[in-house]
Amino acid sequence: MNLLKKNKLVIIILLVIAVSVGAIYAYAMQAPTKIESKKVDFTGTSDQLFLKILEDPAAWQDKIVVISGKVTSLDDKGILLSASIYCQLKDTTVLKKINPTNDISLKGRIIGYDDLLEELKLDQCIIQ
Amino acid sequence: MKKILLLAFLFLSVSIVAQKYYTKTGKTQFKASVEAFEPVEATNNSTTAIINVNSGEIASLLFVKAFNFRVALMQEHFNENYMDSSTFPKATFKGTIVGFNLSEISDTKKYILNGILTVRGIEKEIETFAVFSKKEDKLLMQASFEVQTADFKIKIPKIVRNKIAGTITISLAYEFIEKK
Repeated sequence: MNLLKKNKLVIIILLVIAVSVGAIYAYAMQAPTKIESKKVDFTGTSDQLFLKILEDPAAWQDKIVVISGKVTSLDDKGILLSASIYCQLKDTTVLKKINPTNDISLKGRIIGYDDLLEELKLDQCIIQ
Repeated sequence: MKKILLLAFLFLSVSIVAQKYYTKTGKTQFKASVEAFEPVEATNNSTTAIINVNSGEIASLLFVKAFNFRVALMQEHFNENYMDSSTFPKATFKGTIVGFNLSEISDTKKYILNGILTVRGIEKEIETFAVFSKKEDKLLMQASFEVQTADFKIKIPKIVRNKIAGTITISLAYEFIEKK
């Protein structure tokens, strides 16, 4: 009887350890948060955002924005908005559905102001 | 006389207009993995690079925060502890492709690439090979080189030192298109 109790205790302790190790591993190995579920820091037109960026580029790193604007050009990876913001798409298959004459609204992450091409760069963009 | 001058001037201005190729979505990858541990590697798919095909000069720029890791925690540590990406958001490279000649690139052509890599505000001279090829109207470039974490004063805490390699392999794959 006493031996059985002891065994039970050991099993319970082992279980607790296994579960907590599993939980820690799952936490440590989490994939980065998807853009779809990230909180939006700014909503507006592409021109409004561009002006804000020029004021203080450092403050806007890694911020999530929803912007709308006119499509200037398309390439096989993304869209150039208002000739000043390059939006790299998360899923490039949507490119076929884009009508370049219409205005477009998309959610993306600011990665920084590219002073080689003088464009603001966004990545992980999804069409809204 | 005036006509000759005018002609000479015309020729000059033609040769001054540099032909450039660029990419906004170049792939830059780094690996600092140690065997038997979780791989320490990430890819940046948003590297900007410009080549002046007349002179062979090349300039590129990437944002450190745009390196994508498989594991969120690793990405956080990379940005906050090792790269200080809020203070040093960019890494840049400025250099020359020695003897670059666009017209001789058809299948693949290897050139020496040298220049200055700036990471965390610290400059380091790089010399490596770059392989160029053409695919339709695109100019492709591939290169890889090694740097040390110590070159850029990146401190790796003792507790993870055996999981992160001190020698980092950086590989580049850029698809340039002509700038019009």
